[in-house]
Amino acid sequence: MQTKILLDEEQMPKKWYNVQADLKSPLDPPLHPKTQKPIGPEDLSAIFPMELIRQEVTTDRYIDIPEEVQDVLRLWRPSPLYRAHRLEKFLKTPAKIYYKWEGVSPAGSHKPNTAVPQAYYNMKAGMERIATETGAGQWGSALAFATMLYDLECTVYMVRSSYTQKPYRKSMMQVWGAECIPSPSTKTNAGRAMLEKDPDTPGSLGIAISEAVEDAAAHSNTNYALGSVLNHVCLHQTVIGLECREQLAMVDDYPDVVIGCIGGGTNFAGISFPFAGDKLTGKHKDVDLVAVEPASCPTLTKGLFTYDLADEAGYTPLLKMFTLGHDFVPPSIHAGGLRYHGDSPIVSRLVYDGVMRAVSYHQNEVFEAAKMFARSEGIIVAPETSHAVKSAIDEALKCKKTGEEKTILFNCSGHGNFDMSAYDAYYAGSLVDYEYPDELIKESLARIPKIS
Amino acid sequence: MMRIGFLINPVAGMGGAVGLKGTDGKVEEARRRGALPLAKNRARITLALLAQNKNLEFVTCSGIMGEDTLRETGILHYQVLYILDGESSAQDTRRAAQMFLKTGVDLILFCGGDGTARDIFDAVGREVPVLGIPAGVKMYSAVFAIDPVTAAELVVGYETQPLRDSEVMDVDEEAYRSGELKTRLYGIARTPALAGKIQSSKQVYEEGDEERAKGEIARFIHEIMIPDVVYILGAGTTTESIASKKGVKKTLLGVDAIKNGEIVATDINEKTLWTLLEQEQEAKIILSPIGAQGFILGRGNQQISARVVRRVGIGNIILVATPHKLRETPVFYVDSGDPVLDKEFGDSVLVVSGYRMAQRKKIHQS
Repeated sequence: MQTKILLDEEQMPKKWYNVQADLKSPLDPPLHPKTQKPIGPEDLSAIFPMELIRQEVTTDRYIDIPEEVQDVLRLWRPSPLYRAHRLEKFLKTPAKIYYKWEGVSPAGSHKPNTAVPQAYYNMKAGMERIATETGAGQWGSALAFATMLYDLECTVYMVRSSYTQKPYRKSMMQVWGAECIPSPSTKTNAGRAMLEKDPDTPGSLGIAISEAVEDAAAHSNTNYALGSVLNHVCLHQTVIGLECREQLAMVDDYPDVVIGCIGGGTNFAGISFPFAGDKLTGKHKDVDLVAVEPASCPTLTKGLFTYDLADEAGYTPLLKMFTLGHDFVPPSIHAGGLRYHGDSPIVSRLVYDGVMRAVSYHQNEVFEAAKMFARSEGIIVAPETSHAVKSAIDEALKCKKTGEEKTILFNCSGHGNFDMSAYDAYYAGSLVDYEYPDELIKESLARIPKIS
Repeated sequence: MMRIGFLINPVAGMGGAVGLKGTDGKVEEARRRGALPLAKNRARITLALLAQNKNLEFVTCSGIMGEDTLRETGILHYQVLYILDGESSAQDTRRAAQMFLKTGVDLILFCGGDGTARDIFDAVGREVPVLGIPAGVKMYSAVFAIDPVTAAELVVGYETQPLRDSEVMDVDEEAYRSGELKTRLYGIARTPALAGKIQSSKQVYEEGDEERAKGEIARFIHEIMIPDVVYILGAGTTTESIASKKGVKKTLLGVDAIKNGEIVATDINEKTLWTLLEQEQEAKIILSPIGAQGFILGRGNQQISARVVRRVGIGNIILVATPHKLRETPVFYVDSGDPVLDKEFGDSVLVVSGYRMAQRKKIHQS
């Protein structure tokens, strides 16, 4: 009875898989926020290195992972795939449950998979510094780690409420040598404008993005890096799914269901895109790809598929994606990484086309699932990851009813070792089941005259 | 140093144990039936938890209205501001509370029931925050802590915690004894609120103070209000802020109707409301449940009767409440007088709690 399915270091993927190659038609292009015309590479060159801009738009199916990047990824990759025997037994399900454990990275989540190549390409392009934002601190700490490896300076604008309430993520950034600033700050126009409007604002991811973008645009030695949403970020995360496919093949298996939690979309993209490719090319037409989001920020299940801004101040291009509106500030759920008004344009498109589907859950039920997982498999997952756990358990329980022996794979994207206060809140019964009031919103939208 | 005005209604709750459904005007009868004063036992639980706290300074009433219980729990530094002469009455509660107000206290902590809450509100209104240790027969007012232990926690955390609006309810005891529950919203006091005990979530959007939260709710409701639909607004400060966002003035304690941004009717009774609805194509009801007690219908808003709800449709009821209120309202109740209608609400409801934000709350299943 094998529990861990391991790849050797030399079996680590040498190329990223680009699902854009297998889309039936090209993605709708990003639009300039002012002119609303498609943007060109030059529009992005002020804040991104050219190689990442190329990766953003390319339709090449495979893209080489540079040797220097592979060297770093090997610190924790290939990551283990687990068969959740104990959880299966606990649930008394005929289903087979596998989980890909990404919590083994130095930062404790999947985020370094893209932080490392992003830092590398910026170093190659002669950059000296990177500015970024972080909500809960996962991305900020991952980029702090990655920039340190390539001798780059790193400035992280951290949402103010998290900055004061999540001291340990900030400490990690310090250890890895990054500067962490509470956002909104007085360092940028966007930050100053926000503080003037509301000195007591707790901040938001949208504001922090605006600050980091402004910082990068204002300094010629500085670029911007985003930890989610964008195509090149999804691309870098595909190492997760590529490894899973190899690991499952080692035990003669292939998933019927692939599950990941979704905020900006790249952890889900990472595990699902290689399988989406199999689906799009007809190799495995029936694989079910499930994105799991919080009921309080249900972008894919309740949002609109349209062009919207990626940030608050309107510095970023308009992206065609599922969105709840860039002015929407999601409520204070503990899965901070899933609090984003939009979603990856590629994931959005695949959901829109019916290649993938999405489900949503409330806070209390996902922590219940996380507790079940901790008590059977031992790992205490991050609140974000607990959404994927919940969906995997539900799929396994469906199999129990139908008697199907499905193979379920989910991305166990990060540990919850810095999130114990969230678990405390769960046990204290003080977790609020926030929900997006979509019926009310839809009804009012339906009566607004359409502007063509 | 925090100064607390403390008083007990010594006879609160006595009627309940002997089947009198309230003690107003029935103290003698209750005693004859063998009822014992219970309020002090409830107050003792709270005070025992506060006895060692050096940050608290008590002012109180003599004897059974406060002093005795303070001494019994080991609180010896207090000042008696009101001397009780003979039997205690509603008048004593009001006078004592006025005295607290006059000499300046940070909080009035009282032990009693709905009647006591009403008397204190008469005396101090919204000028001093009020917190009740529940001891009465009926507690429909939102000024009460869930239990005496929570009351102590609220006192200890008072200086760092936010305040919330809390409904003071007026219950007609005569009618209640004859099996009819007649409640009306009497006023809206200020009560300390439990801050979310563990708020260190990864990324917190703090709702800030309650006024800000009301503003956010109003902003959202304003956005989703549809032309030519009549909106029936229930009582309270949250619905009041919705009206003021629309630029209209609403009665605080009454049920009002607005349409296309204009007031159609104020302080409507059930009959008028019914007549109004007969003329309207489409209507929606916006209600805020009673804090802590969680009643959506049947307490203080009997104008919104079962037939009114049926006419409008359950799906057209929009519930609103600040996060502060919701935090202290674990379960909701529906008591429209029509059990079949009550069931139709299902086992949970969505309550709008901010801008494009709502919370899913359980409804008590009888």
